[in-house]
Amino acid sequence: MFDAVTKKGLTPLLGILKELGNIGIMFLQSIYWTFRRPFKLNYIFKQMEFIGVNSISVVIITGTFTGMVLALQSYYGFRKFGAEGLVGTTVALSMTRELGPVLTSLMVTGRAGSAMAAELGSMRVTEQIDALIVMALNPIKYLVVPRVIASFLMFPVLTSIANFVGIIGGYLVGVKLLGINEGAFINKIIKYLDPEDIYNGLIKAAVFGIIMSVISCYKGFYTRGGAEGVGRSTTEAVVMSSVTILVTDYVLTSLMF
Amino acid sequence: MEDTAIRIIDLHKSFGPQKVLDGINLEVETGKITVIIGKSGGGKSVLLKHIIGLLKPDSGEIWVNGNDITKLPEKELNEVRRSFGMLFQEAALFDSMDVFDNVAFPLREHTKLSDREIESVVEERLRQVGLLTFTEKMPSELSGGMRKRVGLARALVLDPDIILFDEPTSALDPIISLSILDLIRETQQRIQKTYVVISHDILGMFRIADKVAMLYGGKIIEYGTPYEIRRSTKEATKEFLKATKIPGFTGGSYEQQQDFP
Amino acid sequence: MSSSKISPELKVGILVLVSIMILFYMSFRIGRLGTFREGGYEITVTFANANGLDRRSPVQIAGVEVGKVKNIALDSYKAMLTLTIKEGVKVPVDSKIIVKAQGLLGDKYIEILPGTEKKFLAQGDRIKDVIPGIDFNEIFTQVNVAAKNFGETMGEFKDILGDKEKTNIKKSIANIESLSGDFRTFMTDNKGNITRVVNNTAVVSEKLSSIAKDIEQGKGTLGLLVKDDKLYNDAKETVTSLKNITKDIEEGKGTLGKFAKDETLYNDTKEAVSNIKEFTDGIKKGEGTLGKLVKDESLYNETEKAMKKIQKGAEGLEEITPVTILGTIFGFLF
Ligand SMILES: Nc1ncnc2c1ncn2[C@@H]1O[C@H](COP(=O)(O)OP(=O)(O)OP(=O)(O)O)[C@@H](O)[C@H]1O
Ligand SMILES: [Mg+2]
Repeated sequence: MFDAVTKKGLTPLLGILKELGNIGIMFLQSIYWTFRRPFKLNYIFKQMEFIGVNSISVVIITGTFTGMVLALQSYYGFRKFGAEGLVGTTVALSMTRELGPVLTSLMVTGRAGSAMAAELGSMRVTEQIDALIVMALNPIKYLVVPRVIASFLMFPVLTSIANFVGIIGGYLVGVKLLGINEGAFINKIIKYLDPEDIYNGLIKAAVFGIIMSVISCYKGFYTRGGAEGVGRSTTEAVVMSSVTILVTDYVLTSLMF
Repeated sequence: MEDTAIRIIDLHKSFGPQKVLDGINLEVETGKITVIIGKSGGGKSVLLKHIIGLLKPDSGEIWVNGNDITKLPEKELNEVRRSFGMLFQEAALFDSMDVFDNVAFPLREHTKLSDREIESVVEERLRQVGLLTFTEKMPSELSGGMRKRVGLARALVLDPDIILFDEPTSALDPIISLSILDLIRETQQRIQKTYVVISHDILGMFRIADKVAMLYGGKIIEYGTPYEIRRSTKEATKEFLKATKIPGFTGGSYEQQQDFP
Repeated sequence: MSSSKISPELKVGILVLVSIMILFYMSFRIGRLGTFREGGYEITVTFANANGLDRRSPVQIAGVEVGKVKNIALDSYKAMLTLTIKEGVKVPVDSKIIVKAQGLLGDKYIEILPGTEKKFLAQGDRIKDVIPGIDFNEIFTQVNVAAKNFGETMGEFKDILGDKEKTNIKKSIANIESLSGDFRTFMTDNKGNITRVVNNTAVVSEKLSSIAKDIEQGKGTLGLLVKDDKLYNDAKETVTSLKNITKDIEEGKGTLGKFAKDETLYNDTKEAVSNIKEFTDGIKKGEGTLGKLVKDESLYNETEKAMKKIQKGAEGLEEITPVTILGTIFGFLF
């Protein structure tokens, strides 16, 4: 009786651990295959185009509006203390340290992570992955590594763009709309924003890129059950990536700052 | 060269409680076309995937070129795989590449041919399967039969020693079907490689087969020339051949068969 | 393969270039690259307490930024700071250095008060003349404690006691006197610099006003102080000095902010605060001897008037002080 209960309780836990282990293995494999010749540069560039270039619009829109709303919200708070000048600082710090990397990663996860899981999933169920193996080509190298590398490189790139447009958005709302003193706005940013804030944010983004791509590739790569399975993998990839990104964000933040 | 290209010894494979392969013993002769017949869901595709190392058996051995590939580590297994070509049942073309790139892919990854050489080889293969005008189509823009023909071109493009065909003629109309069979026969006679073909298409297969293996209940219950198979007295085989609904096909002779339309 | 004219490589290249430019621009604007480029020379200085200072905190002369704090390290339980001073800024060897804050909310920064020597500091030199920084926190707590003690003591006035130990009372009065003397000298020395003190005084006066109320209630007993002329005169004198102080304070109205720049004033304040402490302690010790204090109503009235004046001064100050700063003061205190 007791045994049955513990077993029932343990089974999902073991399942999670196993999944984490498998994801870890996929991560290690992709590191291993990253450094094996030949380097599939054209594959990497294609993925960089897909993950990076094609995400620009969504990242710019997200970043700008986040900066704008940050300015709006913090303005109402700071006005009570007569410290409107700190709006710029708030926008700049929140964007570079937190919202730039996290929101960019979540948006790109929704766009590219789901696509990764769906692509690899349908390659799995239509035996394209088997076809690669039969050709004596390692599917991790051909399918996973380019996506992981491209995400690793493109997430910081997109984040730095999000940071920039976010601060511009905050500037537009704060200075042009709410009439905060322009000099105070900019100087307070310059004064309180450290390069470390920006760099740590970008490091975060790179880590999120790895997390997102490894999880999404894993989910796609081990898809079972036809078209339905592909749909399931896609959903799971986005949910798991997003949750892991948020949890990791907390850990990284507490380590970095 | 050895006479036996692939030797399968007592191969077992179950998926959960379902026994799919239950002691397969088969010797595939070098330079011949071996056709494996058997009912749908009987485990033919599973057998083929074992031969190329996509699936690992529960027990048993598969010898190719002096290696038991069921026990080879990935690296050596890949060496063996380079001498294989495979046409998948659903073609398994790469969605992200057009027809030309799909066929050129093995050449690009495994040879040092120049772009021009690759182009001429690919075009030759595509001409053979009658798809030369479709080089820039994406797989999603092709019919099932066309995809299969591209898959065939891709399987043949490296001139491998052993080619595995999983139902090359299913989903093809009778005319194309015939021409594909002729293509298989013709290339095989020209390059004298080992072909393993899976099919339901009994009529067509008897047209090209050197040897026929009958897979039934997870075992090879018959193995011989088409003529011998048609002479078979085994119930399962007879029943299977009767399904062609051609009077006199069972127990008849291969030569007579040529007269049927 | 998609047949777009621009290759993925080119698109990705443009994107990466743009982001690197953004990164460089932002890094440059927020200064790290800026300081790297300018270079400069380093000098060191040791503070008892570097609380609130950071790497990259500004170093100023006359309000103009001339460098940054490069490093803060612990050196035999003191904070040793390395300052990077911009090339071309000459700092005389007899310069003084002080930690300051920009307003109450503001960040700490370092101000160099240039000396008059013709010799200048060079790479690796050390500024020896350090003026201790102002710790508002400390001041406020001290004032607060002093005010409380004062209040308690005043409460004890209510219990009028026998006429023993006049000497003790005298001592107390003398303390008050010397305190007010100190106060007066520092006021006259620093007229116009006073407003921060007033700030503190505002808090004290609030406490005082409640004390005054107490006294009012205790009128019957306390009101009529001693018959000893000497003592009476002393007390009266004290009140007059208090009056003078408040007058000075009132005159100092509107000159807020200068306080922070004057080290002597700061030291005086500290001294004054400790005097108040001493004085209240003295009174506490003299407990039970105060009873004999006189029956002169006018003294009481004078005292009350003085209190009111202090309050008024504080009110005037309140009007000219940004709400935020008062808010912070109260934040510190309560
Ligand atoms: N990966 C797998 N996991 C579980 N069961 C499988 C798997 N692959 C095949 N099977 C089962 O093995 C059996 C044989 O499948 P297989 O694909 O070999 O049939 P087949 O002989 O090729 O049939 P068809 O002629 O229809 O292609 C089927 O019942 C199938 O359900
Ligand atoms: Mg099959």
